[in-house]
Amino acid sequence: MLRLSPNLVPMLVVALVVLVLYWPLMYLANIPAAQRALDTGAVLPCKTALECATQLRSPVLPSPQQLWQGFGNLMFPLNSQSAIPLNAAVTALETLVGLLLAAMLGFFFAIGMVASRAFERSLLPWIVASQTVPIIAIAPMLVVVLGQYGVQGWLPKAIIAAYIAFFPITIGVAKGLKSPDPLSLDLMKTYNASSWQTYLKLRFPASVPYLFTAFKVAMTAALIGAIVAEISTISFQGIGKMLAENSRASDVVAMWVIMLSSAALGILLVALVNWVEHLATPWRRVPQREGGGR
Amino acid sequence: MVFPNGTVALKEANLEIAQGEFISLIGPSGCGKTTLLRLLADLIQPSAGSIRIGGKTPEEARKSRAYGYVFQAPTLMEWRTVLQNVMLPLEVMGVPKAEHKPRAERMLALVGLGKFARHYPWQLSGGMQQRVSIARALAFDPQLLFMDEPFGALDEITRENLNLELLRLWRETGKTIIFVTHSIPEAVFLSTRIVVMTPRPGKIETVIPVDLPQPRNFETRETTRFFEIATLVREALRKGHGFEVSE
Repeated sequence: MLRLSPNLVPMLVVALVVLVLYWPLMYLANIPAAQRALDTGAVLPCKTALECATQLRSPVLPSPQQLWQGFGNLMFPLNSQSAIPLNAAVTALETLVGLLLAAMLGFFFAIGMVASRAFERSLLPWIVASQTVPIIAIAPMLVVVLGQYGVQGWLPKAIIAAYIAFFPITIGVAKGLKSPDPLSLDLMKTYNASSWQTYLKLRFPASVPYLFTAFKVAMTAALIGAIVAEISTISFQGIGKMLAENSRASDVVAMWVIMLSSAALGILLVALVNWVEHLATPWRRVPQREGGGR
Repeated sequence: MVFPNGTVALKEANLEIAQGEFISLIGPSGCGKTTLLRLLADLIQPSAGSIRIGGKTPEEARKSRAYGYVFQAPTLMEWRTVLQNVMLPLEVMGVPKAEHKPRAERMLALVGLGKFARHYPWQLSGGMQQRVSIARALAFDPQLLFMDEPFGALDEITRENLNLELLRLWRETGKTIIFVTHSIPEAVFLSTRIVVMTPRPGKIETVIPVDLPQPRNFETRETTRFFEIATLVREALRKGHGFEVSE
């Protein structure tokens, strides 16, 4: 039998409420536009404003039927250059590669910061400063610079994704590496453990829960980075490219469909982190015993 | 022992401990008993004076892994099973891999937790966790065992049971144990000698030998001699304070 997670029911209730509220809101927003269209004598397959509200070519808010049709149009064929699946896969690849690069950079900075006070004091302000530069301003410039060295296509987007994703990872891992309590560090000292052993046996494992929390934040940041990079540079593939294209074409329904798809992609990627976390932390997986324990 | 901020944590501490003794350091908070233990363990360095452990300085003793240390908290690693926690010192100390598991299993059996090898620490009660940490401290067979209020956070009933178990461990293994506590009955029950310490500045007030016969058991706590020694300790603690307190 299918066991529903206890969170699922309240979530679905909220989705239903949103849908129910969306309907009157959609009519409210679209009826004036529909009336204007009828007044100007546009050729429409409907007669009253109420009827036309769900069939406008550029609605203020698309009707659920329009969204459903939009999904149908944009999802297939799966391998089409102009359909969502292929473009979403490219954006997902950029995001994941970006996260991987960010993880490497983040670990390097975090270990440096924990190992050396001087490193932390001299570099942390610059790391923080790097995040205050708007990503949309950096992206085109980075693409030009990387283009000089023949780096083109999806890789520059992954690098831009890494640029904003390394920050939460650096902070999270540094916090995790510092998380062992003083007694545990004393314990390693009584074993005459080397500093490397203390990292291997204590600091790294202790940082794992922090690492995954950081990954979840970094994953959404990387996805934003990848999409912004696609929008703000010349792109031939990706969710961002589709958004830019349909924005120029004023295809409101398509933009809504792409937005909802990218939201689904984000949820999927974070779910992926949750799944890896579940696999990587067996000690948190054992079912909680009632009572006892601490 | 003077800390960098000028606080005198420990002033007069002259003490010799023979092999196989069970020494308790007792005193109110701030008397320097934990400081003394940390000095012995080379977790901090003395500002003056000298300590020798079997002829070695504390640093040499630590580097030759001469002692096991049991902290106030179990300090178990949540990502390791109970067995893996006991194996930790063996891994760090480069004991041949084949020996890790049998030795850790033997230690767990010694503290009566053989059946819990595969559990994770959070699945155990506080008392069981502390027993794991004792097994871990004994895993590499050090001659000396430092224990810093290991049962301080436990309830009275669990504590009395663990006291009895610790005495059995001590008899069976022949270790020298230095045990910090602020419980008078615990000190009297466990020790061969009680070192009474008093605060501001921390110093050793007196050393009280405990001549209760071995092996001790639950009835030991009800003998007249037990109460007499407890009274001696209590009076020594009071004297050091210079005023009447009911600690």
